[in-house]
Amino acid sequence: MGDAFCSDCKRQTEVVFDHSAGDTVCSECGLVLESHSIDETSEWRTFANESGDNDPVRVGGPTNPLLADGGLSTVIAKPNGGSGEFLSSSLGRWQNRGSNPDRGLILAFKTIATMSDRLGLVATIKDRANEIYKRVEDQKSSRGRNQDALLAACLYIACRQEDKPRTVKEICSVANGATKKEIGRAKEYIVKQLGLETGQSVEMGTIHAGDFMRRFCSNLGMNNQAVKAAQEAVQKSEEFDIRRSPISIAAAVIYIITQLSEEKKPSLKDISGATGVAEGTIRNSYKDLHPHVLKIIPSWFAKEEDLKNLCSP
Amino acid sequence: MAARRNNPSGIVPTIQNIVSTVDLDCVLDLKHIALHSRNSEFFPKRFSAVIMRIKDPKTTALIFASGKMVCTGAKTEAQSKLAARKFARIIQKLGFPAKFRDFRIQNIVASCDVQFTIRLEKFACTSHGAFSTYEPELFPGLIYRMKQPKLVLLIFVSGKVVITGAKKRDDFYTAFDNIYSVLAEFKK
Repeated sequence: MGDAFCSDCKRQTEVVFDHSAGDTVCSECGLVLESHSIDETSEWRTFANESGDNDPVRVGGPTNPLLADGGLSTVIAKPNGGSGEFLSSSLGRWQNRGSNPDRGLILAFKTIATMSDRLGLVATIKDRANEIYKRVEDQKSSRGRNQDALLAACLYIACRQEDKPRTVKEICSVANGATKKEIGRAKEYIVKQLGLETGQSVEMGTIHAGDFMRRFCSNLGMNNQAVKAAQEAVQKSEEFDIRRSPISIAAAVIYIITQLSEEKKPSLKDISGATGVAEGTIRNSYKDLHPHVLKIIPSWFAKEEDLKNLCSP
Repeated sequence: MAARRNNPSGIVPTIQNIVSTVDLDCVLDLKHIALHSRNSEFFPKRFSAVIMRIKDPKTTALIFASGKMVCTGAKTEAQSKLAARKFARIIQKLGFPAKFRDFRIQNIVASCDVQFTIRLEKFACTSHGAFSTYEPELFPGLIYRMKQPKLVLLIFVSGKVVITGAKKRDDFYTAFDNIYSVLAEFKK
């Protein structure tokens, strides 16, 4: 019910809106002013107690501001199983051949997502890695570089920036075909590029053994007491002049703590597998740590006699 | 050049290696040189230059077909020039009209010891962090890229410092002076 200008009556007349057919009809002369009007009210009813998983109002995934069009375009997937349909497979081919400025980006994001899934990283780190990769890609000079190493290095930097560092060896284990050296070189390259782009804003603190303690200990299944003792020990060991990589020191401290505890003691091989440090290196780091062991291990965890019983290297 | 030590520590970096280049200004037949001299090696598939060594001063030269030569291994600037002249003399004796053009020192590597252990992580966190790179997983030393003079220092926990990238002796003396005052703050 409303008023509109009817072209037959040439004046404002009362107009009736017929919902069943979607027609706007003049009540005086019967002329249909508008037909097939689109009802823009909601199509579904949503109740307060219903699960929010399949909200029919929203469609598609979250928009990705890193991609050119926000990730809104539709992609034709390859049909799995018998693709006897000529139409669907060739449609897929035509679409892929078309101009798709983001194809490399999407592929890279997928690789980063796979790698971070294997490491069990949160979405924050994955998004940061995507962002870093986009910023590096914007400067065209990264064409000839080893893509795997570049992506692995983006992930490594993202983990560091979020204060949850992963050792290069851990990143190596999920990156296919990238060696430690290549990842290291790619990391230096990215830091330089990001530094060029925005004047020296790349902030990454140095790694400390304590950052990795929790993860290594839980991989080995140590109990809470041991984990706490290990963390304290590593804090104290930083004051001494031990010239070893922080990861090796962490591994040696874990070895000492597990030797002191009564439960099942992981062998050097287990510790080597969990930390990524070679057995020989753990032995050498243990030799370096042994003179200070009394001051490093907290007294509530082990008494002096146990420490004296520790096998001397 | 005499009173060089304005640095209260009295420590002077010692030069370990000097790399210099010189243009002999004539096209060379590398195969001929390799066959007619006894202290040279030439594997064209591996590297397209003759590698020649002399005993005194103990240096190595890379001699290219264009007539350009790179001389490495000398411990002082004078020795580097002398060695380059000796190499040029050898090429002359082999029958090529070698000259001695544009002798230039490209890089000087020096090392020294500050005699105390250094806290590298603290150093990398301060205002000098913009110039430092310290990745204990990748390399045990801190890589400090100094802007003025433009060279690179490798600083280790033991207190040993390696300075590289200098073209003149004074450059790395200045660099070491600059870095010594900073390092003293981070003594362990």
